[in-house]
Amino acid sequence: MSGLALRNVSKRFGDTPVLDDVSLEIGADELLVVLGPSGCGKSTLLRAIAGLETIDEGQILIDGVRVDRLAPGKRGVAMVFQSYALYPHMSVRENMAFGLINIGTARAEIDRRIAQAAKMLEMEHLLGRRPSELSGGQRQRVAIGRAIVKEPKVFMFDEPLSNLDAALRSRTRQEIAGLHRRIRTAMIFVTHDQTEAMSLADRIVVMNQRRIEQIGTPLEIYASPATEFVATFVGSPAMNILPVAQATADGAFLRVALGDGTQLETSLPASAIKDGALRLGLRPEAVRLCAPGAGDTNATVEFVEFLGDKTHVHLALSRGDRVVALAAAPCTARPGDETGLVLDAAAGHLFGSDGRNLKAAPA
Amino acid sequence: MGQTRHGPGRIAATAALALAALIMAAPLLWTLLLSLKSNAELLRGTGTAFAPPYTLQNYADIFGHSAVFGWLLNSAIVSLGVTFGVLALSSLAGYGFARLRFPGRDVIFILVLFGLAIPEQSVIIARHQMFSALSLHNTYGGLIFPGLAAPFGVFLMTQYFRAMPKELEEAAWLDGASRFRTFWKILLPLSLPAQATLGIFTFLATWNDYWWPLISATNSDMYTLTVGVASSQMNFAQTNGLGFLMAQAVFASVPILIVYVIFQRYIVAGVSRAAA
Ligand SMILES: Nc1ncnc2c1ncn2[C@@H]1O[C@H](COP(=O)(O)OP(=O)(O)OP(=O)(O)O)[C@@H](O)[C@H]1O
Ligand SMILES: [Mg+2]
Repeated sequence: MSGLALRNVSKRFGDTPVLDDVSLEIGADELLVVLGPSGCGKSTLLRAIAGLETIDEGQILIDGVRVDRLAPGKRGVAMVFQSYALYPHMSVRENMAFGLINIGTARAEIDRRIAQAAKMLEMEHLLGRRPSELSGGQRQRVAIGRAIVKEPKVFMFDEPLSNLDAALRSRTRQEIAGLHRRIRTAMIFVTHDQTEAMSLADRIVVMNQRRIEQIGTPLEIYASPATEFVATFVGSPAMNILPVAQATADGAFLRVALGDGTQLETSLPASAIKDGALRLGLRPEAVRLCAPGAGDTNATVEFVEFLGDKTHVHLALSRGDRVVALAAAPCTARPGDETGLVLDAAAGHLFGSDGRNLKAAPA
Repeated sequence: MGQTRHGPGRIAATAALALAALIMAAPLLWTLLLSLKSNAELLRGTGTAFAPPYTLQNYADIFGHSAVFGWLLNSAIVSLGVTFGVLALSSLAGYGFARLRFPGRDVIFILVLFGLAIPEQSVIIARHQMFSALSLHNTYGGLIFPGLAAPFGVFLMTQYFRAMPKELEEAAWLDGASRFRTFWKILLPLSLPAQATLGIFTFLATWNDYWWPLISATNSDMYTLTVGVASSQMNFAQTNGLGFLMAQAVFASVPILIVYVIFQRYIVAGVSRAAA
């Protein structure tokens, strides 16, 4: 098969495990985003694929060929480092040519590829400059250009946007998406920014604590999170998590009671019931304000964030649980107000004591 | 320092610096002045140096008939040999200590650092005997080899390579460069400022070294400049005189000036590149 495959890859630094049984596949023209909190092993994953770290167990295959014992330069991968890692003493052109000279590419071919990449990235006028004479955004482009000219089978980015300011970040994000449409190679993009992940990815790999939590399209990740971690990590503001006091399975659907006695009906079949403590996850858009007493329960407004097109209302339920509701702007709620709440549990998720979503197929 | 450009603090500091510069420069100027006087006049008293007539005869004498050229050549061979040897060895060793993992690395590095604390005097007899046994006295090898053991150079290059971002090397590996090519094409050019510093200090120290060449080079053909000039000072009465001696000293220091001026450019370039 073409593309990249990882099979049961594990990696330890001394006694510390950093990757634990990681398996994934990337199509030959797919843009995969690896999303996860700091320290979860994203960079290590990329570096293992690149060959900058050895792996302790498992296999890495590119286009069906095992590469996990090959030197980094022999794997057909290119990487854009977070720091760009441009060679400071070489001009932009020399930076781009270095990798091609090393593998004995003919001079004319090198010139052709550099000209083509420079045109695509609109940096023809920068070719004679040193990295120190470039802005952050321009350096980024050169780093991408240096990767493109190698025509790699797998293109990897380790948090390439984190050194850019907000405006440049969103522009570069679009450029990377455009680049991927044009060059159509497998790309892996590492980030801890969910907006970046959602907007770029064909599929997202969510990682937590050295394991993969879920792999899916951005919509799948958002609408059907496999675990509580994915549910709370993706989405802003984060999904509300409420402990379930009691779950009953006497009707067609599973019913849950919250700590304050509020009874809610979920969209899960009654048969999905599980032993152990359950937790109900509700996105802010599934929590709506209404007149006191008219909803499923009542709550006190703690504070209100007005964001222009929408408002986040932070609320405390009677038993001390906190939720965030998404309200249309303008919203008249004031801190201290008593309000009614509609909790749309049918749109919510139930998580078992192992953190898995009861809706998701068992893993 | 004073707050304003012309504050009293600044004037005082400038005056102090000027005085210090004068004190440093005085012997050099004195040497230069004496070298421009005829030997006969200087026999009457060195006070005559402050008044004309001045002459270039002493310099002409050097070009005419003097062992100075041979000594100069010896000094150049030895100093350049030691300098390039130290740069090559320190860079390789520094890279090894900074980037390779091998058993005993840290212990060996500490041993190298101990080398900094061992004075030459304490090993000179053993070294002399060793070089005798190997018949290395009165050879260029005998003058060069001891200088190649340069713990400070190894230490400096180790620290320099350690401070370089690892990602540069990793990028080069991903670019298909071998370990040696990465070292040669990426790390070594980037270490140029450190090389220049180490090179200048090694060159100056070797050029000015007196003790070991005095011990090892007993044949006057193998004298370095320092030993040679000193030897003419010792039988001062028989030499062509004070002016000639001073002219030799001036002549001997010219190469150092040239080397310093050239390398200084590299230092400035290195520093400004690092700042950019
Ligand atoms: N060379 C190393 N030796 C020991 N531990 C390491 C090494 N490199 C990384 N780690 C550890 O491995 C874990 C994963 O690191 P990694 O850099 O892959 O995280 P990350 O997901 O990229 O984080 P970030 O988003 O902060 O870049 C961290 O706990 C880190 O401390
Ligand atoms: Mg990282």
